[in-house]
Amino acid sequence: MDVLTLSHVSKSFGQHRVIENLEFCIPEHTVYGFIGQNGAGKTTTMKIILGLLRADTGVITVNGKQVCYGQNHTNQFIGYLPDVPEFYGFLTPIEYLELCGEITGMEKREIRRRSEEMLELVGLSERKKRVQGFSRGMKQRLGIAQALLNRPKLLICDEPTSALDPVGRKEILDILHTVKEHTTVLFSTHILSDVERICDKIAFLHNGKLEFQGTLEEIRSQRQGRGFQIEFYRKEDVALFLKYFPGTVSEGGYKVLCERNMGNNMQNNMKYVEKNMTHAMEFVVKNNMAIRSIEMLETTLENLFMEVVGQ
Amino acid sequence: MRAFLAFTKKEWVELIRTGRLAILLVLFSLFGIMNPAVAKLTPWMMEMMADSLKETGLTVAAVKVDAMTSWTQFYKNIPIAMVIFLLMFGGILTAEYQKGTLINMLTKGLARWKVILAKGCIMTATWTVCYWLCYGITYGYNWYFWENGIASHLGLAAACVWILGIWLIAVMLLMSTVFQTSSAVLAATGGIALVSYVVGLIPKARKFLPTHLLAASGMLSGAGSVEEYWCAVWVTIGLGVLGLLAAVIVYNKK
Repeated sequence: MDVLTLSHVSKSFGQHRVIENLEFCIPEHTVYGFIGQNGAGKTTTMKIILGLLRADTGVITVNGKQVCYGQNHTNQFIGYLPDVPEFYGFLTPIEYLELCGEITGMEKREIRRRSEEMLELVGLSERKKRVQGFSRGMKQRLGIAQALLNRPKLLICDEPTSALDPVGRKEILDILHTVKEHTTVLFSTHILSDVERICDKIAFLHNGKLEFQGTLEEIRSQRQGRGFQIEFYRKEDVALFLKYFPGTVSEGGYKVLCERNMGNNMQNNMKYVEKNMTHAMEFVVKNNMAIRSIEMLETTLENLFMEVVGQ
Repeated sequence: MRAFLAFTKKEWVELIRTGRLAILLVLFSLFGIMNPAVAKLTPWMMEMMADSLKETGLTVAAVKVDAMTSWTQFYKNIPIAMVIFLLMFGGILTAEYQKGTLINMLTKGLARWKVILAKGCIMTATWTVCYWLCYGITYGYNWYFWENGIASHLGLAAACVWILGIWLIAVMLLMSTVFQTSSAVLAATGGIALVSYVVGLIPKARKFLPTHLLAASGMLSGAGSVEEYWCAVWVTIGLGVLGLLAAVIVYNKK
């Protein structure tokens, strides 16, 4: 079952179109990575899902119920972690979780039990200390604890790792990975290594449009075979190779790059890239060229990201 | 109801742990003590100054003070206390916008009107406790030193000013839903009080305006009749309720 579905969602601020015809769904127990540059529309999308902003068009459902702006009945299924969570500094973590539990209508005993459980899960030991003395990492942990308190069906995290140091980041990612068993996670980021670490599915958002989505493997196989690269020993071999294969380019020195989208006869398909590679190898052997290396270029998320944003 | 109580409790804890309640209690107690103290010290000060005044040709007759002097002080000082009270609560909503602490509460399903109501309740309760504490202290001293009986309608006149305070709280809540910064909220609240005061300069309009309640001390000496203030009381209560409703409506649309 899909926990979250968006269909034809658009939003503008004045003349500026922030989100255009957004459409995707998230199945249960998935970690869904929402990738995009700053200003791509990630936070806006999340705020619309939370009912904090009104969508101009489109329908959003959470756990089968439609989201209405300003009314927050669908939020009972959602746990939300803002990018920089802010808490009441004069409360202790336990008191804050109690307040959250009361607001969501949990039972008193359940609140106490879950609070302990969650603080345990996120590894927050300073339970009696007031939040005002907390570091960012500690606040982020408390943020996750409060978001998961009432066992939400969907956990929305807005760039949970952006403001943290590498250690803090790893810990938060580990926590998100652990909670996958109990809930579904939608998290936005622009840190690509985070995505590779924990996401099952990803979506690239650019200028308010969904450029593509799928599982990491799907995206990789679709976009695989960016091309290949050969490194020669001799300069004259490089020149000969470049002459014979007009679409290829010299990478400087002894390296030659054969990319699929360079206007040569190579096409946007793995099969053709493979064919081209063997073709090139035949040519190398036939002409007695010595090479240092030949390598199929894997598409990294970074390549994809750069391609999407047009750089 | 539980969500409302939980949020009200949070407001209460905030009031205590930020030290705001303690400061207000001390302040209003001081104001309460100051009124009879000033009255008590007046003759002594006059005596001290009598010699120097004599040189300028002024003679000071014996000054007679009683409970009325002290009550006059009370009504002179209470507007200052009221302003301090409002200053301390000026950021009650705007501070939450700026820090973003409310977003979490709202996304958890806390209805917006409960936020307004909880804050309104806490401010009204604090105002009530502080105000009547100040009144009680002044009353106690006046009873001890002199005789409160010479002032008529003591409680009624005090209630008028108390109602005025509640109206200002409602106005401030409404302004807090309209503006983003506490300075804008305070300026707007002050502006509205000023408008009420300025319009009150027109004699015919005066008795319908909330600020007219500040003059309720006129009842004490019998200079003004009780009936003169009923209109202003009802208008103030009406405007206060309307202000609160408007605050809820505006905040729901925010």
